[in-house]
Amino acid sequence: MALFFLDSRLNYFAPARVALATVLYPIQIAAAIPSDLSHWMGDFFEDRDQLRNRNNKLESMQLLSGMRLQKLQALERENMRLRELLGSSFRLTERVVVAELLTIDLDPYFQQVVINKGKRDGVFLGQPVLDVSGVMGQVTEVYPFSSRVILLTDPSHGIPIQINRNGLRAVAAGRGLGKPLQLEHLPHNVDVREGDLLVTSGLGGRFPVGYPVGTVKSVHFPEGRPFAEIAIEPTAHLSTSRELLLVLPIESLDNTNEEPEVTVEQANGSE
Amino acid sequence: MAQNRPQGRIILLMTIIIAMILVIVPIPDSLRLFRPEWVLMTLLYWAMALPERVGIGFAWIVGLLMDMMLGGTLGILAFSYALVTYLILNFHLQLRQYPLWQQALIIMSLVLLVNIIKVMFSPAVASWYVWAPAIVSTLVWPIVYAVLRKIRRVFGVS
Repeated sequence: MALFFLDSRLNYFAPARVALATVLYPIQIAAAIPSDLSHWMGDFFEDRDQLRNRNNKLESMQLLSGMRLQKLQALERENMRLRELLGSSFRLTERVVVAELLTIDLDPYFQQVVINKGKRDGVFLGQPVLDVSGVMGQVTEVYPFSSRVILLTDPSHGIPIQINRNGLRAVAAGRGLGKPLQLEHLPHNVDVREGDLLVTSGLGGRFPVGYPVGTVKSVHFPEGRPFAEIAIEPTAHLSTSRELLLVLPIESLDNTNEEPEVTVEQANGSE
Repeated sequence: MAQNRPQGRIILLMTIIIAMILVIVPIPDSLRLFRPEWVLMTLLYWAMALPERVGIGFAWIVGLLMDMMLGGTLGILAFSYALVTYLILNFHLQLRQYPLWQQALIIMSLVLLVNIIKVMFSPAVASWYVWAPAIVSTLVWPIVYAVLRKIRRVFGVS
C-alpha cells in the first residue's frame, strides 16, 4: 500500500487521475448546486429598479472603457511602430475564453479551484487564467469536462513579475490561504516601494506580458537576513471571482529572443 | 435478508456520496479550516457498525476518490483512510461498548492521525490548524452517529 503513494509522486497515474476526475464530476456539480441556486434566486428576484440602476452603471462603464480603448488602440499602433524601429518583435493582444468557476471548496491547504471547461473546450496544461482585474493562476490538470487551476497564493506557485515603475524583475511566490504573496530573493538595497504595481514579465513563457499581478503592500528589510521581505496583495479577486478568462496561446514564442530566458523555471508551478 | 442486501449497499454508498458533497460544499473562507471530516466519520461509523461489509479495500477506494476530489497527491488519503479503518476494525467490538463521548475521543485521535499524515506529505506548513478538523469532528460525532444509526435501522442495512 505504501508503494501506491510512493508511485503516485512520480506522475505514473495521470490517466487514472483523469478517469477518477470524470467519475467525480457529477458529485462536484451536485455540491455546487446550493450556491448556484442562491445566485440564480438572487438574479430572479432582483427588481426593476435595481436592474435599471445596474444597467445604467454598466452603460456608463462601457462608455468609459470604450473611450479608453480608442486611445489604447492608437497607443498600441504607436508602440508597434516604435518597436519595429527598434527591430524587436511585438506580440498581438491575446484572445481569451470565458470559463466559470465550480463553486466548491477543495483542501484548504492547497489553493486550487475547479473550472467548468476541460479538454473538450481546448484547455491545456499551464494555460494562464485571469479575472477582470488581474492574474489568478494557471491550469495544473486537465480533465475531459473540467480542469483544475492553481492560484497565485498556493505555496508551490511562483510567478515571474516585473515592477511596472522601474522594470525590476523578480519571482512572486504564494504563501497560502489568505496570506499575501512574497517577492523572493531580492537584496536589501532593492528599489521597491509600497504601492508599486507588479505586472507579469512574460519570462518563463507561461504568462503573457503585462497583466497586473498585485501591488506592494509592505516592504521590510529585516536585520541579519540576506533578503528583503516584500509582501504583495494580489489584484485579482481570488476568492470572489466567478467568471475567469482563459488566455489562448499567442503566436509562436520563438521570435521573442529579446528577453533572455533565465532563472524562472519556478514559474511552472509544481504539483 | 437476501433481498435486503443490494438495497443496503446502495444506502451505504449514498451516505458516503452525501458526505463527499458536504466536504466540498462552499463555506466562508475563514471556516474552511474547521470543516469536519464528514467522509472519514461516515466511513468509520460503517466500519464500526458493519465490519464485515466495510473493509480496508473499501476505505482505500473512498480515500482515493477523496484524494482526487481535494486535489492532493494521489494515495495519501487512500493510505490513511485504510489505516484508520484497520484500527477501527481491530477494536470495533470494544468501541461499540464505549459511551458516546469516549467514542468521540477515539474518533478525534483517528481524525488527527489522518490530518497529520496529510500534512506530512503535502507542501503545507504544519501548524496548530491540524487540530481544527479533529476537534470539530469530535463535536459533531454524536450527531453523525445518531443520524447514521437511524439510517441503518430505518433502511435495514446489515
